[in-house]
Amino acid sequence: MAGSSCLLVHIPLDGQQLLAAVASPAAGANVLFLGTTRGITDGVETVELEYEAHEPMAVAALESLRAEAMQRFALTGCRIEHRLGVVGVGEASVAIATSAPHRREAFAAAEWLMERIKADVPIWKCEVTADGSRAWVHPDTTPGAEP
Amino acid sequence: MTTPSSTLPTSPPTLRVSLFAGLAAAAGSRQLNLPWWGGTAADVKAAVAAAVPAAATLVATSAVAMGNRYVASDAPIPAAADVAVIPPVSGG
Repeated sequence: MAGSSCLLVHIPLDGQQLLAAVASPAAGANVLFLGTTRGITDGVETVELEYEAHEPMAVAALESLRAEAMQRFALTGCRIEHRLGVVGVGEASVAIATSAPHRREAFAAAEWLMERIKADVPIWKCEVTADGSRAWVHPDTTPGAEP
Repeated sequence: MTTPSSTLPTSPPTLRVSLFAGLAAAAGSRQLNLPWWGGTAADVKAAVAAAVPAAATLVATSAVAMGNRYVASDAPIPAAADVAVIPPVSGG
């Protein structure tokens, strides 16, 4: 298996490559989640999203979440990639592949990882709308509240 | 090469504060250099809010990280530290 299991990348994500990386004879379930740029949110047209990160901290946080998921859900494989920079409508910004002996754990791990990524990993999106306005997205929840 | 530790600084030590996303946009910069004699993570947030009033609301819901880890609001931040103010995240 080549490369690190958690990456921030500036090129389009390749879901098939992630699936191939988590494949093993021990796995009976292989889940691939892709988060993609939605073109319409609450009636407003998004033309693209732009992502930035505190890169060393984000990679460390992803590695830590991956390690916790491997143990918590008894996974046989897990790989996480998040894209940075401009991500056009329909393109993937985040990809998570999980594999486990049975499907319940593989699905649950992918969902748990997405929830934790959205809450704690220092990555941000800027919404660029059709009228050219740019707005960084900051929810009301302080990150890192639950160590 | 070493610097004599007995030399007293003639100006306050500098705290380098990295900013991201909406905080960097409000500040017009990705880094603030603040005079710093030491204090807590909460003091860092107060100093950033004072330096960038337009970002005060966002700073209030931000976390502070040092050495690539989130720190508690009462954590001591030494002079000459490198810290990051982490606004609420929106990856995924």
